[in-house]
Amino acid sequence: MGAPRLGRWGPALLVVVAGVTPLVVHDAFFLDALVLVLLWGAISAAWNVAGGYAGQVSLGHSAFFGIGAYSAALLSTRWQQSPWLGMLVGVLVSLVAGALIGYLSNRLRGPYFALSTIAFSQVLLILVSRWRGFTAGSEGIPVPFRPGFWTLGLDHVAWVYLALALAILYYAVQRYFERSRIGYQLAGVREDEDAAQALGIPSRRLKIFAVTLSAAMTAMVGTLWAQYVGFVDPYYVFSVDLSIRFALNAIIGGLGTALGPFLGSLLITTIETYLRATFSGVKTGFAGIYLVFYGCVLILVVRFVPEGLAGLAARLRARPARA
Amino acid sequence: MDSPARLGPAEIIGVLAQLGVATVLLGSIYALIAVGLTLIFGIMRVVNFAHGEFLMLGMYLAFWSFTLWSIDPWFMVVVAIPLFFLIGLLTYALVMRGIIHASHNVQIFTTVGLSIALQNLALVLWTGDYQVLRPWHAAVVVRIGSAAFNLSQVVAFAASMALTLALFAFMKWTAAGRVIRATAQDGEAATLMGIDTDRVYRVTFAIGIACVGAAGVLVSPLYAAYPTAGLQFVLLAYVVVVLGGLGDMVGALLGSLIVAGVEVVGSYFFGAAWKEVFYFVLFIAVLVFRPAGLFGQRGAEMLGA
Repeated sequence: MGAPRLGRWGPALLVVVAGVTPLVVHDAFFLDALVLVLLWGAISAAWNVAGGYAGQVSLGHSAFFGIGAYSAALLSTRWQQSPWLGMLVGVLVSLVAGALIGYLSNRLRGPYFALSTIAFSQVLLILVSRWRGFTAGSEGIPVPFRPGFWTLGLDHVAWVYLALALAILYYAVQRYFERSRIGYQLAGVREDEDAAQALGIPSRRLKIFAVTLSAAMTAMVGTLWAQYVGFVDPYYVFSVDLSIRFALNAIIGGLGTALGPFLGSLLITTIETYLRATFSGVKTGFAGIYLVFYGCVLILVVRFVPEGLAGLAARLRARPARA
Repeated sequence: MDSPARLGPAEIIGVLAQLGVATVLLGSIYALIAVGLTLIFGIMRVVNFAHGEFLMLGMYLAFWSFTLWSIDPWFMVVVAIPLFFLIGLLTYALVMRGIIHASHNVQIFTTVGLSIALQNLALVLWTGDYQVLRPWHAAVVVRIGSAAFNLSQVVAFAASMALTLALFAFMKWTAAGRVIRATAQDGEAATLMGIDTDRVYRVTFAIGIACVGAAGVLVSPLYAAYPTAGLQFVLLAYVVVVLGGLGDMVGALLGSLIVAGVEVVGSYFFGAAWKEVFYFVLFIAVLVFRPAGLFGQRGAEMLGA
């Protein structure tokens, strides 16, 4: 799975478009959609580090997302601390949790690894939802809005730039995985672990590293997401559905490609936001219909375009155009 | 709940017997769910992440036929087995057939996609409300020793056991069962022997779905039906099959009893709210220390399943 070349200017162009948009467009709805595209893209990029580059397909990444979301929410509501501090705590906890999960699940492959990560996220879900005295249990925690950078009480324009900065950072991390020695070694491990080990590549350590880094990256977005949305509850942030969503953007966009998660997020989040806005207030089980479509798209994409949007673009480019 | 330390010997024996019976009753239902999952894995080498959704469909089948036409779930089991066999054949043709020889990622995400689609189809068709079915036998109390169970649960136990044992017998003693086992051992060699492996996979998948659909009907008087009802059961079924060794049918039966035991004993001492923690911790422990299952061969997880 080589890095598809979308051109040197493709990503830069996207950054410029996203960066200029808030200067031109002042519509809150549109800016909100842009923030969500960038945040979802960043989460999927974080997932991609483990799932795409290292081939450690996790279906329990909501565990780290939830750790990040809850760390900030608890610190800010119980001890009036800045969500930035909460993010730091969330990242540290996720580093430990990610290393632990990476270590414990290290020998597991394919479905076994996916199942073990689901189990971890479910344990956290149960702990957080049952520990009512501290976490408020299944009621969830409303995160108060206090204006200011330090409290992350920002307007939409500031959120766009914050999310954009995060997206650029995560894009850079993924590019590192495409071009560095570690990245090449991980690709080797992903394609054939036994062969990679025979060549002296420390596959175990590399996989643990990728999962740990991915966990910390996911926790960071978890904090931002909780502050942006203003509410955390265990059945959302620790759910298997959410973990699947992280993976979905990366798969649809292109597994193991730096631009893939953002392309996937752009497509899926845009469709979702549009449909939700168009059909809001109509109680016809529409959310369900949308997700039926979502499931079918996943099946079809995996089956017919396994390399995702980024890979598809590369494939079309590689094939000389016929007159 | 009384602290067990204050009980006398007679009471302790009574409690143990009660927990034992509860374990067996619950374990038999888990076995029927898990045996379908492990059968599909053992033969096709595909972990069906949508397995729980067929259970959920079984629960809705029972609920709607009871509500609309007053058909007792005990009768619906008889209908559900052939019906879910057909649903299995259809699902195989539309979805599973294309992924048998695909990579893990493709298999995982295809079945996950199927799971999302089915869950939300249920949400569209039947809303997210909890649907509880109350046939007459849910109110009839049966005493086994000092413990009380309702008749629905006892019959669900008996029917699950009968179906699981029938499946074992089918696999062991019929010509078709032998063909399936041969395919499981070595698909390529089986092809060379003239076995139509595509047909074997198709039938195996349909049998697995028929089992879990029947299980859904049987548990319908015991648990509420809702679109994601399958999830908790199927997570539990994964625990069972990993514990027993993926693909090992006898292991699935024993694994079911162990998981049911952990749940029953854990609920007794710590309250039902925490039962899931016990089996997930058990699950992680098994994955870490014996990923090939309690009775399986070491290294199976390395084959990448």
